[in-house]
Amino acid sequence: MNMLLYKAWIETRVRFFAGLIAVTIVCIFYLQQHAWLVKMWAHELADSKGYHGAWMPLGINHYSWYLWHYLYDNYLQQVWALFALLFAFGGLIRERSSGTVLFSLGLPVSRRQWLFSRLAVALLEALSVACFAVVVVVIGSRVIHQDYSLTQLILHTLLMVGAGVFLLAIGNLCYSLAPGNYTSLLVTLIVLGVPYLLLQNYMQNERDLNKTTWLQYLDVGHAMAGPWQITWTSFPWIALFVAWGLTGLCLSITAFYGDRVDY
Amino acid sequence: MAHVIETQQLKKSYGTHEAVRGLDLSVSEGAVCAFLGQNGAGKSSTIKMLLGMVHPTSGKGRIFGHSISNEAESLIIRQKVAFVAEDKRLYDYMTVAELIRFTRAFFPTWDERFEQELLDRFELPLDRKVRQLSKGMRTKLALLLGFARGCKLLILDEPTEGLDPVAIEDVLQIVVSLAAQGTTIFFSSHQIGEVEQVADHVLMINRGQLVLDASMDEVKERYKHIQAVFPEPVEERDFRLPGIEKARIEGRTVTLVASDHLDSILEHVRMLKAGSIDVLPLTLKEVFLEKVKVRS
Repeated sequence: MNMLLYKAWIETRVRFFAGLIAVTIVCIFYLQQHAWLVKMWAHELADSKGYHGAWMPLGINHYSWYLWHYLYDNYLQQVWALFALLFAFGGLIRERSSGTVLFSLGLPVSRRQWLFSRLAVALLEALSVACFAVVVVVIGSRVIHQDYSLTQLILHTLLMVGAGVFLLAIGNLCYSLAPGNYTSLLVTLIVLGVPYLLLQNYMQNERDLNKTTWLQYLDVGHAMAGPWQITWTSFPWIALFVAWGLTGLCLSITAFYGDRVDY
Repeated sequence: MAHVIETQQLKKSYGTHEAVRGLDLSVSEGAVCAFLGQNGAGKSSTIKMLLGMVHPTSGKGRIFGHSISNEAESLIIRQKVAFVAEDKRLYDYMTVAELIRFTRAFFPTWDERFEQELLDRFELPLDRKVRQLSKGMRTKLALLLGFARGCKLLILDEPTEGLDPVAIEDVLQIVVSLAAQGTTIFFSSHQIGEVEQVADHVLMINRGQLVLDASMDEVKERYKHIQAVFPEPVEERDFRLPGIEKARIEGRTVTLVASDHLDSILEHVRMLKAGSIDVLPLTLKEVFLEKVKVRS
């Protein structure tokens, strides 16, 4: 089993380091922008003709809200989701294109072991990238002299990864079903990325209008972000359980399909 | 002698194309069994079915008594079988040493002394990435990864493809020495000369069906070329007898390929008042060509 993990790690390590660099850039950019944005919002609020967003006082007065809004509710989450999909790319079906699948299947390893070892590495990498973002925020916040709640950061990280496992599972399923090698990567990014972003925006508008719809349970982005002040009781448990249920379904389909493929 | 590989009415269809059509074969323990056939005859599909890479459409197969159709049993099969695929592509991002370490981890019976011996013999550079190896070197590495597993059964799909004559000779010697130690070898090849050199049993497949299952001695014993010259012209229908695979008539000269009943065929030829009769042995290549041509 260790060797399967080792192989998956070697195959994805470049993506992993790229992920670390990407989250570092996103976090540093928004930490660096904090002072300027707060100043701009204060200026807008002071101006009677300026834009008065209901969230602006939160952004000005609560650094934790700022971190949540820009990182966990938006850009860090999106970058993390992109890399989660990239980490899940690979496996036996992809090895068919590279011609190594017969060597892999000649080893005494079941197809499910191949699948789950790869997904385990993808999950660990995704978790590590999310934790690394916490480290960057901790150091960056110290540099810009801002206070924050470390517990909140950790809870948001756990929620982002906890709900985001669905992306790993559905990403791997799409790669398994789509033909071609890099075509399947592109198709998956489009097929999953577009609804993810559109649904996020649509649901945000619905929430602003105080409307509720069953689609909220499929809004993975919202589930990954959670409320800005998060506690165990305010955790979006239903959305989380829906995400886990769909994750289980995707993994079952991938495993079922993978067992039946002829190489 | 116990059978290591057994199949019963094994079939594989890809859509409407039947790649393997009711294959009944068996390979005895300790044999060096060659699996011959044209491209697309169904050799690779059969091997892949034996190793669980392709699912049979119908029929049964067993290796060491374990069913090839059951995932759990297929796993046990792959612990006992070393397989080297026709397309010897390996993880090109690993170095030779990494790939050996990776493969070794799955086989408790791995023979490290043999691994070292093969590394020296094949002159494989441990620190070089697989993608930097030539095709021949990659083939040698794939064979090392198969040979050193210490398995009781070695399945090789075109093992010498891409090797130079010296390396081919090396590989054949290794195959013979492994067989001498009791390893069963089941290999497919298009190089009939190699097959004659090392195999003691031949299975021939054509269009998904077994057309020959015999020991090398039997092939040499049974398959004969009979050339007879007759005083009067004869017709093809005069030679429709059991055991005659093919009859070619040129004027008063008749050339027959016999696979069985040699004595009765010769008696029949004499009865037709042949002036001269020559009986010559057939090479395996000739047998192969006859078997494939007759049925194609």
